[in-house]
Amino acid sequence: MNTKTRNLILNGLALAALVVFLYQAPGNLDRYKLRIINLIAINAILGLSLNLIYGMTGMFSLGHAGFMAIGAYVSALLILTAEQKTSMWILQPILPWLLNLHAPFVVSLIAAGLAAAFFGWLIALPVLRLGGDYLGIATLGFAEIIRILIVNLTPLTNGSLGLKGIPAHTDLWMSYGCLVAMLIFMTRLMSGNFGNVLRAVRDDEIAARTMGIDTFRTRVLAFTIGCFGGGVGGALMGNLITAIDPKMFMITQTYSLLMIVVVGGLGSITGSVIGAILVTTMLEWLRFVEEPITIGSLHISGIPGMRMVVFSMLLIAVIIFRREGIMGPREFSWSWFFPARKAEPEMKGGND
Amino acid sequence: MRKLLLAVMIGLFVASGALAADGPIKIGFYNCLTGQNAFGGQLELEGAQLAVAEIPEVLGRKIELVVVDNKSDKVEAANAVTRLIERDRVNAIVGTYGSSLAMAGGEVAEVAGIPVMGTSCTNPLVTLNKKYYFRACFIDPFQGAGGATYAVKNLGFKKAALLTDIANDYSVGLSNFFKAAFVRLGGEIVSEMNYQSGDQDFTAQLTEIISKKPDIVFLPAYFAEGAVVLKQARELGATFIFMGGDAMDNPEVVTLGGEAVEGFLHTTFAYDPSMKDMNPVAQKFTDTWKAAHPDKDPNVNAALGYDACMLIVDAIKRAGSAEPDKIRDALEQTKDVPTVTGLTTMNATHDAEKELGIVEIRGGKKQFIGTVKPEV
Repeated sequence: MNTKTRNLILNGLALAALVVFLYQAPGNLDRYKLRIINLIAINAILGLSLNLIYGMTGMFSLGHAGFMAIGAYVSALLILTAEQKTSMWILQPILPWLLNLHAPFVVSLIAAGLAAAFFGWLIALPVLRLGGDYLGIATLGFAEIIRILIVNLTPLTNGSLGLKGIPAHTDLWMSYGCLVAMLIFMTRLMSGNFGNVLRAVRDDEIAARTMGIDTFRTRVLAFTIGCFGGGVGGALMGNLITAIDPKMFMITQTYSLLMIVVVGGLGSITGSVIGAILVTTMLEWLRFVEEPITIGSLHISGIPGMRMVVFSMLLIAVIIFRREGIMGPREFSWSWFFPARKAEPEMKGGND
Repeated sequence: MRKLLLAVMIGLFVASGALAADGPIKIGFYNCLTGQNAFGGQLELEGAQLAVAEIPEVLGRKIELVVVDNKSDKVEAANAVTRLIERDRVNAIVGTYGSSLAMAGGEVAEVAGIPVMGTSCTNPLVTLNKKYYFRACFIDPFQGAGGATYAVKNLGFKKAALLTDIANDYSVGLSNFFKAAFVRLGGEIVSEMNYQSGDQDFTAQLTEIISKKPDIVFLPAYFAEGAVVLKQARELGATFIFMGGDAMDNPEVVTLGGEAVEGFLHTTFAYDPSMKDMNPVAQKFTDTWKAAHPDKDPNVNAALGYDACMLIVDAIKRAGSAEPDKIRDALEQTKDVPTVTGLTTMNATHDAEKELGIVEIRGGKKQFIGTVKPEV
């Protein structure tokens, strides 16, 4: 059995295990755990899409919350019924053409991704001519513009009141389905030639250009794909929480995604998934440090915010001891579990 | 070092295991204890803790308050409520400051069928089409109409201007309802200006408003920004009166605004420590608060945290059971229950019907002027 068939079988087994887990989970776990598991998938999708932009192509973008917002709003506007819309727009009436716009959830997800990708592409054209920190500042600015437009376009978005009563369509199947699709897409992308092009652009743009790579086009393409992921993630998030408003999509949202990407490892697909698991579960698991605690006769009353302190210390520890993140630029590989027998043919490049 | 850490961890696990024993009636409490709105959430928590300290038992079972922070964040709010319901198995929930957080948490409680008593989430959308969400506060249309009624009927003002925080759902809603009521009562809105939460400089908007010469400016801001607006208005020589909503009901307003907040009016719940003839419940609440926190005055958030807990306890007593569905049914029947903020009745939309108070700042102190009945 060569490495390729072995990996194929193992991947199939892992996927089957995931399916079994998703099938069993709703009956055996309580809703709190299910919710966290669901959030992990959404955060992983968002982390992966930001990693494609920042980690793999080296574009320091702080605009992800803006694209999430576009996705969440497009999806919510397509899903809500006409009655819900009329009862919610209490400040100004909703635009008439929008009122009866309706689509099933899956269509709305794709529309959300496409809308975010479109705006991402529009923004990319001028902004990606910048590099480094300037790009970060410009994308941050655009994300704020998107948010402020949502606040002010009341007939379209219901302004700062936000939207509520979005049906909770995001179940485990939906979010993990999207995550698996995203993972397959990303691994194919990164192991193919385009992945090498992205890495080349990241590591040395001038060298890449000398090699005949249209670096600007590559960067725009990667940015647009990343925005698509951001839009889908935002839509899934909106359908999980069932209520969205512009305040959800402030810069802090981008920072928490950045945290996932950096902790996991810049440029590592596995890293983003691990980062998402870690950040999402830690924040919830650490809640016990805020609860009142009695150890013997010693009673400590809970201090709100304590888990943020502990969490920050954990992050600092990660950054001190593993500067490149948990995974660094490495990826998970099945060959970790198999001792190298001979000069093994690593699956690299992959020109099939 | 590592051993010490391990020992602490084991200690924590043992301790959390000991807490899980059943028996008491659990009231969940989710609120903004950290983050942007922590000032309001903290006060509400302190109020709720007073209530539980005062009535430690109902139906012969201990009452336990399970406190969870929502970090002023919607995702966290939904997580917090799920955690209270699934992990802590609470019988009822109290919370939260901030309507958008209440909406995120409300969906979860609605699905699980656990009654929630909102503290100061005043937006109409919070309880809209909800079977399990109630609130101990009135809603913004009522408050906006009350402010407008007071301005037109009691003060005889005809021209008003609005200065709204466009990024804040509370501010936008309240401003809109004030405007509608003010126009209906025969007044005229001469200027509508906006700002964004976090702005520091309001001189452009204020100059424009001053040029329109209104009698009164309605400013439904949070207290930190509100105090800055008042300061800058006085520096620009504005002579008109400002009026705010219940979010300005915070002792910090005077500290931040100093001289400039003199004469500032705001609508609020019918409770203030400066009230002359307090109802007995309010008197008792003020006394216990002063005993527990001698260094600070109570405000409406504290009172609402206290009231929300008391309304749930009252419902448990009337239901004779701590089952969530029975509590919900009893909450729906709440009628003329004496609370700190006046007699409380739940109406058909699960909003508390109670009196609206007017407070003026005089001589650097909050003065409770009286109550007003909104004419809509």
